[in-house]
Amino acid sequence: MTAPLLRALIVDDELPACALMREYLGAEPGIEIVGECANGFEAVKAIGELQPDLVFLDVQMPKLDGFEVLDLLDDRPAVVFCTAYDEFAIRAFEVHAVDYLLKPFGRERLREALTRVRERLAASEAGSAPAAPSASELATSARAPGQHLERVLLRDGSQVHVVPVDKLDYLEAQDDYVEVHSEGRSWLKHQTLADLEAALDPSRFVRVHRSFVVNVERIARIELAAKDNRVAILRDGRELPVSRAGYARLKELL
Amino acid sequence: MHPLFAHRKWVALYLIGWLLGGVLLALFFTMLRPRPLLHAMEFAIPLNLIFGFVALSAWWVCRSNPLSGPRPVRIFTTQMLAALQVSAAWFVAASLWGVVMARAVSETVSRAEILQDAGTLFVLGMPLYLVSAVVHYLVIGFEASHAAERRILQSDVSAREAELRALRAQLDPHFLFNSLNSINALVGSDPEGARRMCERLGDFMRRTLALGAKDEVPLAEELALVDRYLEIEQVRFGDRLQIMREIDPATAACMVPPLLLQPLVENAVKHGVARRVEGGCIRIAAHRANGRVGIVVENPVDPDAPPKRGQGVGLENVRRRLEAYRGRETHLEAWLEGTRFRVEVTLPAGELPPAVEKEKAS
Repeated sequence: MTAPLLRALIVDDELPACALMREYLGAEPGIEIVGECANGFEAVKAIGELQPDLVFLDVQMPKLDGFEVLDLLDDRPAVVFCTAYDEFAIRAFEVHAVDYLLKPFGRERLREALTRVRERLAASEAGSAPAAPSASELATSARAPGQHLERVLLRDGSQVHVVPVDKLDYLEAQDDYVEVHSEGRSWLKHQTLADLEAALDPSRFVRVHRSFVVNVERIARIELAAKDNRVAILRDGRELPVSRAGYARLKELL
Repeated sequence: MHPLFAHRKWVALYLIGWLLGGVLLALFFTMLRPRPLLHAMEFAIPLNLIFGFVALSAWWVCRSNPLSGPRPVRIFTTQMLAALQVSAAWFVAASLWGVVMARAVSETVSRAEILQDAGTLFVLGMPLYLVSAVVHYLVIGFEASHAAERRILQSDVSAREAELRALRAQLDPHFLFNSLNSINALVGSDPEGARRMCERLGDFMRRTLALGAKDEVPLAEELALVDRYLEIEQVRFGDRLQIMREIDPATAACMVPPLLLQPLVENAVKHGVARRVEGGCIRIAAHRANGRVGIVVENPVDPDAPPKRGQGVGLENVRRRLEAYRGRETHLEAWLEGTRFRVEVTLPAGELPPAVEKEKAS
C-alpha cells in the first residue's frame, strides 16, 4: 500500500534552507512540493490558496513570524517548524505543531517528521486527532510568555494587515468575531472579545462595556447621558457606551 | 607562625638588632652601677635576646585583638596585661641569670644589686613590649591593605574574564546553527561552495577567538572579521543582504577594542536586513578627522516590525566595552533616521607605534 500523496509547502526566508528542504523532500516518495514562500505574508496567502496538507514553517521571518502565520489561518494544515532556535519548542507544541526540526538537521530526522505527519493526518481522518487549538490558544502562543500583544494581525481575504496596538481605537464584540477599529477603518477578526482583551496590556485597554474594549488614550471625555448611563467620547467624536462596571474600571485606571 | 620566620634574612637582621640593643643595655647598666663592661654585656646580651623572642608574642596578642575590634578599652587592658606578664618573665629570668652570673664570676654582688638590675629590666620591659605591639599592629595593617589591593587586582582580572566570557557568549550560537544549515544545503547542490563556507566559518571563529583575547586591535583586523562574517551571512540571505563600505585608509591602523564592530554589524543583519522582505543595504563607514576615528554602521529597518528583545543588549555591551576601553574619550550614539538605524562610534585615533607592533609580532 502506498502512502497518500502529501502536498507540502516550504516557508523559509533563507534560500539555502529552502533549497535543502527541496532537495530532501524531492528524494522522499509521496511528497509533492506545491510552493515555496520567503516570508510570513506570502505564507498566509499561499496556505489559503494552495491548501497544502503540510507546511514546513520557519519561525523567524520578515513581517510575520511562524506563530503569527498560524494565528491568521482558519484551516490549519499539519505544521512542522524548522528553526535554529530551540527556545520556541514549547510554544510550537502548544499550537499543536506536529514536529519541531532544529537546524541543521539531516534526512533521517526529516523522515521521522514525515512519519509523524502521516500518523497525525491518518488519525485526524479517523477522527481521533487532538482537537485543533482554539483561537485563544493561538493568540496566546503568538506572543512570548509574559508579554502583551504588540500588534494585531488581521486578514482581509488574502491580504494581511498588521496593526500596532497603539494605533487601535477600540474593539467591538460581534458574536464570535471582534470588530477591530483603527484610524477610521475596521476589520473583523475571528476571535472573541474576551480573548483579544486578555492579550492586550490592561493598563492601556479597558473593557468599558460588555461589547466594547477601548484604548484609553483615545478617550477625550466621559459624559453622563442619563442617570447611571455614561458614554465615552473618543477623540474622533465617536461615542461608546460605558457600563457601571466599565466606569469603575476606567476610574481605577485613570 | 610569626611572619618574621618566613625569611632567614629577616630573623638574622632581627637578632643582630637585639644584639646591638644588648650592648646598649650593657652600657646603660655600667652607668647605672659601675662594673666592668664585659660583665655587663654577659648579663645584658642573653637577656636581651630572650626578650627579643618574647616580644614576638605580641603578634598573637595583636592578631586576636584587632584594632578594628569593638572594644578599645579591652584591647588596651589586654595589651597592658600582656606587657606586665612579659616584663615579669623578664624580671624572673634576669634574677636567675644574675644569680648564676654572680656565682660564676667570683665577684661579690649583693642580692639587692641583682634585684635592682632585674627591676630595671622589669620597668624597661613594659614599654618595650608595648612598642613591639604597636609595630605588630602596623605590620598587620600593612598586610591587610596589601591583601585588599591583591583582592582588587584579582577582581579586576576576574571582571575581565567575565567580560571575555560574555563576549564569546555574545557570539550568537544561532549564527553557527544557521551557517551549518547553509553548509548542509550546499553539500548537495554546490560541494565547492560548501567547502568555501566551512573555510570561512572556521576562519571567522578563529579570528573571533584571537581578537577577543587582545586588549586592542587595529581597525583593519576588526573590519576583516566583519568581512568574514558578512560573507557567511551573504550565503544565507543572498541578494537580500547588500554591503556598502566607505573605509578611509587612514583609519586602518587605528586601535579599537576587539569585537567592537562585529556585534554592531550582526545587529544590523539580525534586526535590520533579516526582518525585511526585500532585505537591504548595510553601510559600514570609517573616517578620521581631528585626531579621532568615527565608525558608522547603518541598516534599514522594517517600520512595521515591533522592537524585539535583545536588540538593545548588543548595543549596551558595545557601549560598556567602549567605556572600559577609553572612558569618556569614546562616544557611542544610536538613532533611527527615517527607516534607517544608525550607530556611530567615535574614539581617539591612536595608532600602535611600529616598535611596539614589531615587539608584539615577535
